[in-house]
Amino acid sequence: MKVLTPAGEPLDLMTVNVGPSHPATHGTLRIFAALDGETIVASALEMGYLHRGFEKMVEQGTYSMVLPYTDRLNYCSAMMNNIGFCKAVEKMFGVEVPERCIIVRVILSELSRIIDHMVCTCTNLVDLGALTNFWYFFNTREEVYKIWEKLCGARLTNTVTRIGGMYRDVYPDFASDVAGVLLKIESAVKEVRGLIEKNKIFIDRTRDVGVVSAADAISWGWTGPCLRASGVDRDLRKDEPYYGYDQYQFDTVIGTTGDTFDRIMVRIYEMIESVSICRQALGKLKPGPINTTDARLSLPSRDQVYHDMEALINSFKLVYEGVRPPAGECYDATEAANGELGFLIVSDGGTNPYRIKVRPPCFTQYAAYGAMIEGGMLADVAASLGSINIIAGELDR
Amino acid sequence: MSAHPPAAAAHGASTAITTQAIQPGLSAEQLLAKLAHFNPERDPRDRWGLTVIVPASRLREVVRHLRDDAELRFGMLLDVVGIDYLAFPDHRGARYAVTYPLKSVAYRHRVTLKVWVEEEDAKVPSLHDLFKSADWAERETWDQYGIVFIGHPNLKRLLNHHEFVGHPLRKDYPCQKRQKLSTNDPMVDQLEAQLKRRGYTVVERGEAHNGVPISAVGSVPLGDRTTATVKTSGGAGAVGAGAPATTGAAGAAPAGTVAGAKS
Repeated sequence: MKVLTPAGEPLDLMTVNVGPSHPATHGTLRIFAALDGETIVASALEMGYLHRGFEKMVEQGTYSMVLPYTDRLNYCSAMMNNIGFCKAVEKMFGVEVPERCIIVRVILSELSRIIDHMVCTCTNLVDLGALTNFWYFFNTREEVYKIWEKLCGARLTNTVTRIGGMYRDVYPDFASDVAGVLLKIESAVKEVRGLIEKNKIFIDRTRDVGVVSAADAISWGWTGPCLRASGVDRDLRKDEPYYGYDQYQFDTVIGTTGDTFDRIMVRIYEMIESVSICRQALGKLKPGPINTTDARLSLPSRDQVYHDMEALINSFKLVYEGVRPPAGECYDATEAANGELGFLIVSDGGTNPYRIKVRPPCFTQYAAYGAMIEGGMLADVAASLGSINIIAGELDR
Repeated sequence: MSAHPPAAAAHGASTAITTQAIQPGLSAEQLLAKLAHFNPERDPRDRWGLTVIVPASRLREVVRHLRDDAELRFGMLLDVVGIDYLAFPDHRGARYAVTYPLKSVAYRHRVTLKVWVEEEDAKVPSLHDLFKSADWAERETWDQYGIVFIGHPNLKRLLNHHEFVGHPLRKDYPCQKRQKLSTNDPMVDQLEAQLKRRGYTVVERGEAHNGVPISAVGSVPLGDRTTATVKTSGGAGAVGAGAPATTGAAGAAPAGTVAGAKS
């Protein structure tokens, strides 16, 4: 492609497609770039390869039938999507789930955040050639998946919550299993930090690469670790505390430059904070009911169903029709691993959601990606992309 | 060596972390009072937060006020959400709405703006120059609902295939409807637009990677393409049989097929 530079000089640009099927895109994303030598002069992004009409599908069934679909949004931390969606519907009902349910959800959220950060950072490091970290993190992640298996039988797509509670209470050894895995996580994080934090190759590959200033990050609508890496101290767990997050002692981790190095480091240090939250939550885990007793949401006990006509009808209606949130429009958000995961739910008072809009955190991050890589080197494309943690499942919906 | 400290230095150092703590925000009533000169109408549908209905003609004005006022500072446009009220029980008024959830990074408050959009005149002013996040979010809303964002520089489909016909999230788009979509979007137009935005002038379009002139890519109607692909993918014998069709479809066929047709 022949062009004239802004200074009026003739220049021959080479166009190249990175993706859609490229190992470093971790999903199907396409970057169409014009290169001057190895420098990216301009880029055009394409997404939608994994678009499956989530928002159309969820309008066809009941609210409970939406839950398995939410697993497939950010499949690296499926439970956080379950929790985010259930929290939004529970907000519409004005129902507060029992204390034990909240604590369990916090533990599951934070463990999910840790494994999500693990996948993000270690695959990012693999793209940079640092393979060893991958084993440290994936082996530890496997330990968390063993807990998931014991908890609900599934590993990746758990559908572990229910509107108004959980699929079921945690198994008897849950607390000791979690306490054990937290030690392994700490040890893995220590190993990885030891390998990368002062590693000249790693630092040279990531410092000042893909820099996004705080002002730009805000205008791009960035949230979560990527926004914090740009130096903006915002975390929904602190700013608009839900599930009693204000009663936990933890720090938000922020970066200074908003480059790839900061984004990786923020995630790694957030894992330590999440470990601390998990420990505090385990201390608060007391026996008690896991599901709300609100008859609009929760099935009555079998005993009630067999002996009480109203309970039988209630059970029948809930199973065959599902829950009916009051008519209205509600936006609710949680701090997911990637940032603010929002659900805007429009209810017409019926059993099927009228409209559900997901606000996936990586959508806004990928929108900024073109601006991040322009002016940089082709070799940095993978480094930058890994650090903003694009999950095609939630990006394309 | 770069001078800045690693993120690790900020971690645990309470000075760096607490200096920017979020300030208490305004209540819904205070926010409405701040918007008083726009005659704000609170949407009763949003019983859990604050949704303010604004006319499309004043949208940009209101958004700019929300963003720039020192006590409001709604610096972040979280999303652009289309809603089709066609099947909503007892709904009267415009068919579509576009809602804009906004939040402040400085204060603990949120607001959602809502613009009613008539079916016959489905147009809303674009916010792409006020918030960078509006660009793609508006493209998605156009893609899914067919609502036009006036002034948007690149109102292309985002999630659906570029050959897709219709707007799938409209309530009258059948859920089970299937469409045959085949070819990749060459995206040359987008790349050239981006080059222009960065001050470059495109002199010659050049060639795509498989030796096909860029101008030919994507210019063949869907029907021809499908036929050509079927005929030529059957091996050496089929290439000859499909030769007349491939000349027109060169741009769309995979690289291997084109080479076969040329030989």
